[in-house]
Amino acid sequence: MTTATTALPTPPRASKRRAGGGKLRALRRNKLALTGGIIAAVFVLTALFAPLIAPYDPSQPDFGNVLAEPSAAHWLGTDDLGRDQLSRIVHGARASMQVGLVAVVLAFLVGVPLGLLAGYYGRFADTAVSRLTDTMLAFPFLVLAVGLAAILGPSLTNATIAIGISQIPAVIRITRAETLRLKHVDYVAAAVANGGGDGTVLFRHILPNATSALIVQATVGIPAAIIGEALLSFLGLGVQPPAPSLGVMLSGAQSFLAPAPWLAVFPGLAIVAATLAFNLLGDGLRDVLDPRGATR
Amino acid sequence: MRRKAVALVAVALVSLTSGCASLQSSATEVGGVRMTDDRSVRDGGTLTVALNSDPDKLDPTLAQTLVGRTVFAGMCEKLYDIDEDGTFVPQLAASLPTTSADGRTVTVRLRPGLKFSDGTRLDAPAVVTSLLRHRDLPGSARSTELAPVTEAKATGPLTVRLTLDHPYVPLTGVLADRAGMVMSPAALKKYGKNFTNHPSCVGPFRFVERTGGDRIVLEKDPNYYDADHVHLDGVVYKPIPDGNVRLANLRSGDLQVGDQMAPVDVQSALTEPKLQLFNSPSLGYQGIGLNVGNVKGLGQKPGKIDTPVGRDVRVREAFELAIDRDLLNKVVFQGMYEPACGPISPQSAIAPGVAPEDCPRRDVDRAKELLKEAGVKTPVKIELKTSTTPEQGRVGQVLQAMVKEAGFELSLRPTEYATMLAETDAGNYDVFTSGWSGRLDPDGNVSNFLKTAGAMNAYGLGDPEIDKLIAEGRSVADPARRTEIYDELTRRVQDAHALIYLYRQKNYVVAGKDVAGIHVYGDGLVRVKNAGYTR
Amino acid sequence: MTKYLLTRLRQSLITLFLVSVVVFAGIRALPGDPALALAGEERSPEALAAIRESYGLNDNVVVQYGRFIGHALTGDLGTSSRTGLPVADAIGQALPVTLELAALSLLLAIVVGIGAGVVAAVRRGKPEEWLANAIALIGLSIPTFWLGIVLVLGFAIAVPVFAASGYVPFGTDPVDNLRRMVLPAIVLGSGLAAVVMRQTRAAMLDSLSADYVRTARAKGLSRGSVVGGHALRNSLVTVVTVLGLQLGHLISGAVVTEQIFVLPGFGKLTIDAVFTRDYATLQAVVLCTSAAYILINLLVDVVYSVIDPRIRLGGAR
Repeated sequence: MTTATTALPTPPRASKRRAGGGKLRALRRNKLALTGGIIAAVFVLTALFAPLIAPYDPSQPDFGNVLAEPSAAHWLGTDDLGRDQLSRIVHGARASMQVGLVAVVLAFLVGVPLGLLAGYYGRFADTAVSRLTDTMLAFPFLVLAVGLAAILGPSLTNATIAIGISQIPAVIRITRAETLRLKHVDYVAAAVANGGGDGTVLFRHILPNATSALIVQATVGIPAAIIGEALLSFLGLGVQPPAPSLGVMLSGAQSFLAPAPWLAVFPGLAIVAATLAFNLLGDGLRDVLDPRGATR
Repeated sequence: MRRKAVALVAVALVSLTSGCASLQSSATEVGGVRMTDDRSVRDGGTLTVALNSDPDKLDPTLAQTLVGRTVFAGMCEKLYDIDEDGTFVPQLAASLPTTSADGRTVTVRLRPGLKFSDGTRLDAPAVVTSLLRHRDLPGSARSTELAPVTEAKATGPLTVRLTLDHPYVPLTGVLADRAGMVMSPAALKKYGKNFTNHPSCVGPFRFVERTGGDRIVLEKDPNYYDADHVHLDGVVYKPIPDGNVRLANLRSGDLQVGDQMAPVDVQSALTEPKLQLFNSPSLGYQGIGLNVGNVKGLGQKPGKIDTPVGRDVRVREAFELAIDRDLLNKVVFQGMYEPACGPISPQSAIAPGVAPEDCPRRDVDRAKELLKEAGVKTPVKIELKTSTTPEQGRVGQVLQAMVKEAGFELSLRPTEYATMLAETDAGNYDVFTSGWSGRLDPDGNVSNFLKTAGAMNAYGLGDPEIDKLIAEGRSVADPARRTEIYDELTRRVQDAHALIYLYRQKNYVVAGKDVAGIHVYGDGLVRVKNAGYTR
Repeated sequence: MTKYLLTRLRQSLITLFLVSVVVFAGIRALPGDPALALAGEERSPEALAAIRESYGLNDNVVVQYGRFIGHALTGDLGTSSRTGLPVADAIGQALPVTLELAALSLLLAIVVGIGAGVVAAVRRGKPEEWLANAIALIGLSIPTFWLGIVLVLGFAIAVPVFAASGYVPFGTDPVDNLRRMVLPAIVLGSGLAAVVMRQTRAAMLDSLSADYVRTARAKGLSRGSVVGGHALRNSLVTVVTVLGLQLGHLISGAVVTEQIFVLPGFGKLTIDAVFTRDYATLQAVVLCTSAAYILINLLVDVVYSVIDPRIRLGGAR
């Protein structure tokens, strides 16, 4: 998992915030980001309309036609049980997207309030939350995920929960850092001085201004979750067969590397395409939304 | 098409040639049985053998894994062994054991002049020490097998007399496995619990070192009684779980022998001119267990399970009838294993079980009728717990597709090993994949699993008639009568549909063409004693 | 400065304590225990009970925890319930493997990453930058385990150049050692190289536009010496810090890589211990991993605070 699940912590640097409007236009001008956006959109649409796109039922075996090479009838060949690989990849995209979105939402639902709490109130709240974060970060992701999957039982939902939990520390750290930064910005300080309640200050002034950094984190979190799902399913801890998932497909393909290498190649390419798309989009968004990290 | 033909040939040959089978088929074809290669070899060299997982403790009393037995085959000989036909032969003993008329006294005579790897002598008191340790050491995995032994006594320097609680025919089979391994009393005294890190037995090779998860190194033992016939300088066992990686290493020559190869990898290996294949039929079985009465956990009295499968034997029969064993074997194992429908292998030398061609055929119409008679609402929902290996996953998915046609909705739950044991032991399941590596004596394949409240009866099966047959099978010495007993037992177990036997694996061992003299018998172990590199 | 260090140290110890509690409780929350995982095929209730007794699993969990910490503090990490080998030995044998893997991956990441990063920054707007960026992005997007499979497929099965698995100590046979470590190092290092490349490029761009570099150029220093001597040297500080932070990911990544290439390192030890419910090994291994991670973080923080004193005042604690 060298692919970072955290947006890289940036050494604080003087930030020159770009003037507000024209962000969308700026994003459109960025060709790479646009490409990423388009691929990501295709991926999302594929996931949404999987049953309409897939030429076959992804779970219907055909024992008379196993390990068939790519052909006109089966563009990407068939797997060890004779199922159409293209249809399985299309449906697998659905599982990937589901995990990607739900895990990130989960991480945000838990991580953002904790980050706000730690950053805004400091002292004991900060100490408690920071130690929690450190403890979670000190666990290798995989051990955490394997443990959770073993306790909860392997399933798509539990894999999602495991991945979501593993992303919480990153969200906490970013929210906390943003809160710390914004607390000292003039207009927030002014709102506090004017007697604004904690709720008002946190949700009207701090959170909206932290959105940029959080959106960027989401574009890092989604591909990380997609890879995470593939990895857990690959290890037999995610999606249950016969439901298709890109990781399940790779795991099955591993037994047939020599006789049917295409089984390992295409699902992997699908994962790379999806994560690449989100990374491109994330880069573009960062350029536009979060100039502090713009050069990266 | 070619694959199908090969599979058919394989099945036919296996049933024909179980007896006289050393070089029936060419080394590069699937099919037939090929247990050894007796080309002459030169002295010297080290053999690296890949195992499919890391063995557990290297202490014959505590060891539990099949791969561990393969390592022991290199360094710990047993009182008795089997030959290529599966019949018992003396190994450390001078002759087969003699049993008194009442079946309660067994006499074991030892070979003279045996020395342990630490140089001390193997005599009758040493055998007694080992047997009692196997039976009594807390945590011993041998205690159940040796429970009927009430007394072990050295009646001469090379004679041991065992007194039994009741006649116990499987004893020879037990002493031809780990319970028959004799450990050096000096080493046991010196290392105690730590014997596992300094094992010392009588064997062609002796233990040098072990790195957990990486390697176990043995070297030629000069103290060995038959050292003149040991050609290699040493053997290294390496756990390599991934089939592709094992194969790649065999191709590159980094490995010389790959144990327990999966059928798909065997097929790839056969395209490689530098490699040859050995195989032998397995004595074990693979199948699925159904929960018919395990309510309180393992070893407890069976109770009532209120699921369609647990309640009604007709539903279970319908489930079994919906399965096509041949197709399962063809799809998942390229037809290279063998369909099975009873606990005992047809290759058993003692009491051959049901042959694959006599197994019940798939009959979806009858299955649907049975479900109708049982009056259950279809689809009948069942959860199957499988292990997390891709191969078991495929078995599950093929079963899922097959039983669907008869009116079952089978959901799969891949469950990691330790969790699986915990849940199936507790009776917390509908159906699970249940397999057994097999024992030389048929009793080892039935009693613990099928006896009411047996140590591994996770199905909650409780049938007094089966219990009676098991007890009888253990005490009758006449082979013909034993075959009858186990035939009857198999029929009753089949009728209960609590453990549905599906297939028997075969032991596939791939080796470099420059290696000769290894032996692969029905117990699935790779014997390296006479192995070496060809001249 | 000393006060800051002490605070950080105290925090690290608290984290380490929490980690030890979590791993201890967590592994016991898994269904199945060492006795069951161990007994497997031939479990009898008596044997299970005896195994549980011999590993002290029948005692109160708090007692077990106390015993574990007590022994650990005296350097006794217990024995593996599966193999019976001392855990400390197992760690001692696994550590060099993982360290070599990590070192080779780091080397690869630094050479490729910094090289590509400098090229991308210096050749801004040229095809070279585009190419370097694209490679970095792909490096970030390829799942480690898939890259592993593809490399095994390509270089160990189709065109057998490298060995697909196994470990030979460097001291025994350096050539064979490297032949086996190249593919794993590529798998583990690729993502890291991408991160380093992007970081280097960013830092270089910052430095190249900084006043002193412009001054140096104005003073007539050659382009090469400005890039190499000034801009790069200044960028390295940031890059090194980021590398430090990535080491945690390196540890996790080693788990997958070692699993694919059957390297008997730390990662493999960890996963095997989970599956065999080898409490003693898992506790010790996770604790060591976490301690290493925390230590690296501590060092990185200290380096940071030296570079940028504002942090000590409460920025990123």
